[in-house]
Amino acid sequence: MTPTTSDSPFKAILPYRDVIHTTDSNGNHFGWVDLPSPEALQITGKRLAEYGARLCTITAFNKKKFAQDGDMQMVYNFDLDGAVLTVSIPVTPHDRRVPSLVDYFANADWHEREFAELFEIELTGRDAPKRLFLDPKIDTGVFNRLVPLSSMMNGASTKQLWETIFAETSMPDWAKEAK
Amino acid sequence: MGNDICRNQYARLGQGGKIVATYSIPVGPLHVALEEPMYFRVDIEGETVKGLEISAGHVHRGMESLALQRNYFQNITLTERLCSLCSNSHPCTYCMAVENLAGIDIPERARYLRVMADEIKRLASNLFNVGIMAHTIGFNSLFMHVMEVRELAQDIKEGVYGNRMDLAANCIGGVKYDIDDEIESFLRTQLKELKRPMDELYRTYEKDPLVTARTKGIGILPEKDAIRLGVVGPVARGSGIAYDIRDKAPYSAYDQLSFTVQTETEADVRSRALVRLREAIDAISLMEQCLDRMPKGPTVPDCLPDIPPGQSVARSEAPRGELIYYLKSDGTDRPQRLKWRVPTYMNWEALHIMMNNCKISDIPLIINSIDPCISCTER
Repeated sequence: MTPTTSDSPFKAILPYRDVIHTTDSNGNHFGWVDLPSPEALQITGKRLAEYGARLCTITAFNKKKFAQDGDMQMVYNFDLDGAVLTVSIPVTPHDRRVPSLVDYFANADWHEREFAELFEIELTGRDAPKRLFLDPKIDTGVFNRLVPLSSMMNGASTKQLWETIFAETSMPDWAKEAK
Repeated sequence: MGNDICRNQYARLGQGGKIVATYSIPVGPLHVALEEPMYFRVDIEGETVKGLEISAGHVHRGMESLALQRNYFQNITLTERLCSLCSNSHPCTYCMAVENLAGIDIPERARYLRVMADEIKRLASNLFNVGIMAHTIGFNSLFMHVMEVRELAQDIKEGVYGNRMDLAANCIGGVKYDIDDEIESFLRTQLKELKRPMDELYRTYEKDPLVTARTKGIGILPEKDAIRLGVVGPVARGSGIAYDIRDKAPYSAYDQLSFTVQTETEADVRSRALVRLREAIDAISLMEQCLDRMPKGPTVPDCLPDIPPGQSVARSEAPRGELIYYLKSDGTDRPQRLKWRVPTYMNWEALHIMMNNCKISDIPLIINSIDPCISCTER
């Protein structure tokens, strides 16, 4: 990624002066900004949503690889009509709360559920998210409850469909007898 | 259906005073419309879907954690094994993330070779999806025909890359394969053979009364919901959103090639299938353009720099839509963090809109229409 001094597509959107602007070898634009605290994320998220940004992904990681209960970093990637803005926030071991962005980006739901589940990060501004991958509500032995292929392929479900057809359709005599 | 899948059954008065049975039925985790396991609990009123709950987690493999314990070269192999149908998009985008971080320029010829590998996978992947759609609506002769045509693409993969699924085409800084005169001749013949059956297939999916009757107006995702949910790929383009990474943020040699961002506006199952078919037809054209324009020269740089500390992002248009990789390096030979978000991850929630008030028999059809990749989703 090459730092660039050309006109930044991010300047008009974010008030921060320290948005670093880079390009890749194809000339695609990337913006990078470190927010001072998780609280600043909500303001930034609101602003980005108003601009029509799309949330691409959210990443959580330990600042010290494989450390447990240490400083963490959250990274949010947004698409701005082809340019990618990466917003980072720190998460400390003393306060592992980050604001939810679901009010601004509906597709934040799965991302937030994932990092809350896998990294034990607490979300503020939304109900406690359901676990995404390892939901304890999944019935025991759900893998053993196989829906027969033939049943689903035939669209077979209840008898109501056929009962309706029998009741409302003029059927040949042989079919009525079969009923 | 057996009693084992008709739980919580009770009766209530529906419109017009008729008694309507209400059920909760599970679809999956093993199901014909899913190549892999996913669990849906569908609330049914009569024959109509009234609620949906999606549960993942059946094949979560912790691959992002594995990636932290492998060096940058080993992760090419790891990411190629994320899934089968879009197996080239992962190592390609991963390599792009490493190249972006280290400032590596890939040779011009390698740019075109990367497009070729991407597009042959797109062709085969999209045909697989529309083939399964034909199977799901009971049009098995069409399904067989699609798979027969797809064999031409599979032969290309086997002939050029030596493998029918994982191509092992990418390396950091370029590609691991090249095309000589003999392979180019084989490729041109195969691509030419694909054109007519692909056009015929498209007309069948577009005009056939059975296909139309079963797919038109089914599983609608209005554009405003598509934007709100941030869906990507043919699911977004089928709802009229003209967004394709190959066009918006070109990579490899896409900025040198001519293609159309395919869209439909009906936002239904049929629209998504037609977008995929047109993109499969475009893939043939893109491969031919690559063969015509690809310059001679090296396919990898002479040497590679060390991977510096820092962070990078790379995106590509996988067969199912935008694929994004985020890479964080601490300067060692292994990533500090490697995260990828696959297109299907963004498309699951759209099923709540698509399946609302649909009929039970449309459930597999609608699920298949987002071309779900579960091994990608769960990593």
